Amino acid sequence: MRFIAREKTQELLESLSAEAQVWAPRELNGSGGTVMFERWSPGDPIAFEGFSTLSAKDMVLPRTEKLFGFRYTAGTGNMLAEALEQGAGLPAQGKNEHLDIESPGPAEKKVLFGARACDAKALDVLDSLFNRDDGSAYEDPGYRARRAGLTVITLACTSCDDACFCSSFENGAAEKAGSDLIFYPVETGFLVEAVTARGEQILSGGEGTVATERLFEESGLQPPALAETARVEGIAELESLLPAIFADLEFWERSTAQCISCGFCTYSCPTCHCFNIHDEMRGDREGERLRSWDACMFHIYTQEASGHNPRPTAAHRYRNRINHKFSYFPENQGQILCTGCGRCIRGCPAGLDIREVMAAALARARERGSGEGLAGEAPGAGSA
Amino acid sequence: MSTIAQAGRKATDPLRPEPATVVEVIPETPNIKTLRVAFDDPAVTEAFRFLPGQIGQLSVPGAGESTFAISSAPSRTGVFEFSVVDAGALTSAIHELADGDPVAVRAPLGCAFPTDEWKGRNVVLVAGGIGMAPLRSLLFHLLDNRADYGTLTLIYGARTPDDLCFESDRADWRHRTDLDFTATIDMACSIWDGCVGLVPTVLEERAPSPENSIAVTCGPPIMIRYALESLAKLGFREEQVYTTLERRMKCGIGLCGRCNLGPKYVCTDGPVFSLAELNGLPDEM
Repeated sequence: MRFIAREKTQELLESLSAEAQVWAPRELNGSGGTVMFERWSPGDPIAFEGFSTLSAKDMVLPRTEKLFGFRYTAGTGNMLAEALEQGAGLPAQGKNEHLDIESPGPAEKKVLFGARACDAKALDVLDSLFNRDDGSAYEDPGYRARRAGLTVITLACTSCDDACFCSSFENGAAEKAGSDLIFYPVETGFLVEAVTARGEQILSGGEGTVATERLFEESGLQPPALAETARVEGIAELESLLPAIFADLEFWERSTAQCISCGFCTYSCPTCHCFNIHDEMRGDREGERLRSWDACMFHIYTQEASGHNPRPTAAHRYRNRINHKFSYFPENQGQILCTGCGRCIRGCPAGLDIREVMAAALARARERGSGEGLAGEAPGAGSA
Repeated sequence: MSTIAQAGRKATDPLRPEPATVVEVIPETPNIKTLRVAFDDPAVTEAFRFLPGQIGQLSVPGAGESTFAISSAPSRTGVFEFSVVDAGALTSAIHELADGDPVAVRAPLGCAFPTDEWKGRNVVLVAGGIGMAPLRSLLFHLLDNRADYGTLTLIYGARTPDDLCFESDRADWRHRTDLDFTATIDMACSIWDGCVGLVPTVLEERAPSPENSIAVTCGPPIMIRYALESLAKLGFREEQVYTTLERRMKCGIGLCGRCNLGPKYVCTDGPVFSLAELNGLPDEM
């Protein structure tokens, strides 16, 4: 394997920053140790051992994105309307203006350094929905442009905390999907593995890239043992088992009683991708249509103009979130919409642990399957 | 209804609407208006096709965007129509629009009624209130291709005579000999000499035969529920019954997440569903 000395990573990122924005985990000033993926500039320290409180999904799905600008301009833009007005003598009641819609600029190239395997895998999961190249009518050009311009350099985990649960999934901390290059920490630096052609270019040089290959050397060091996290057994079974307990609302109410519908879980999640679309005016004549992160845990998310809400309580909404992640999305996209990063567990202000809900749902569904009746312990009972 | 070939929308950016203009506003009821809309770009008009039951996103940029059934005839694409209830912030802005005002449209979206599969069969349409809007497009399509279908029955109800939409269409439908049309209102009143009774009740009285028939219902959720019961009583099986659903939507292309019914998205897998399909999905209406 190739090797890069720890101090040379600064030089590597400096080279890469010549043609792309570089983002890396950094300790926020005065935050008492909070780490976030932040824009990196040469000389900025990198939190190699830190774990970002929020995920890296805004590399491909910005918190707020301008879809397009629009402007109302004097004069009708519609020949048919004009003809109707002239020919049929229709009264010109309208504002006599038309609409111009402009496109957003191209996406910036970005390098994400220091993603964890769970962050990179989350990009691979999101790709299955947003980066379809199957000729389907519904592709997302904004996502695709950002994804195409993104290079992901992953820092492999040799340690974890008690909220991590990536070992519940097939490849655990050794997951490579979504990464271009993987850095395995060893004593004085990192062993480096290229996963994609883009990663190989950085490692070995290639046409049209800044020269970075000189920073790497050959090494006989052995890759480190990777972290083994807590496991939720049977995650893949949820896809087929969850429908059996959908109608058991009492179970969902008991299991998720602590939920205060704050939306932190969705905000911090690397795979949650629900969005809102809304307009903002800049003065009277022009404005922007924006796409922003939304949260399925919010009451208003599904609230209809009539006042009707198909998911009126936190239990309805949590039930949908669990079903979406572990049943609907796997059914539709062939991937589980969770990578075990544990952010929703670390950050939940009510102490709700998605692993306990999953375990309880599995137990409940298996009970149902084996016809043992409805008795069962809900998770979190007594810990609210 | 994903098995049906669709008049799809292959756009370079499916979230970007096309500028359009309101060419006429028709007040239908105290809280419903029909907007007749045309695209500004002749090339967009030229390429525009839709099938009955498909939906569109209508924008008043600055106020927002929302999903509505296209209520006009699929055979007439130069000017197409949305019928809109004044119910919230955006629909209030839509109700303030006048002839000549600019809007923007993303259409068509979603799946249509499988009218090709229904050829040779009788079709019963059961509509309540604004639920007539998507069925109006369907009815126009059936009438435009009248020889392809057997008997056509329409039962359309609203609370009061003032709440019935599409007055000039109704005048035409009443006089047609190839359509059995009943308009009904919930309670008798002095200005109405027609049928009185709730839609499901009238449906059971008219008692269309389920034999070689398809039934399609759309209306307020409570009406749909009882209409489905009435259709079952009449002997319609779940594969013979279709409805078209509404949910809060944003993207209209299966990405933004809010309109799902189990693993299906109302915006892309629907809004048209057979009762057989719906019965296989989680009950989260």
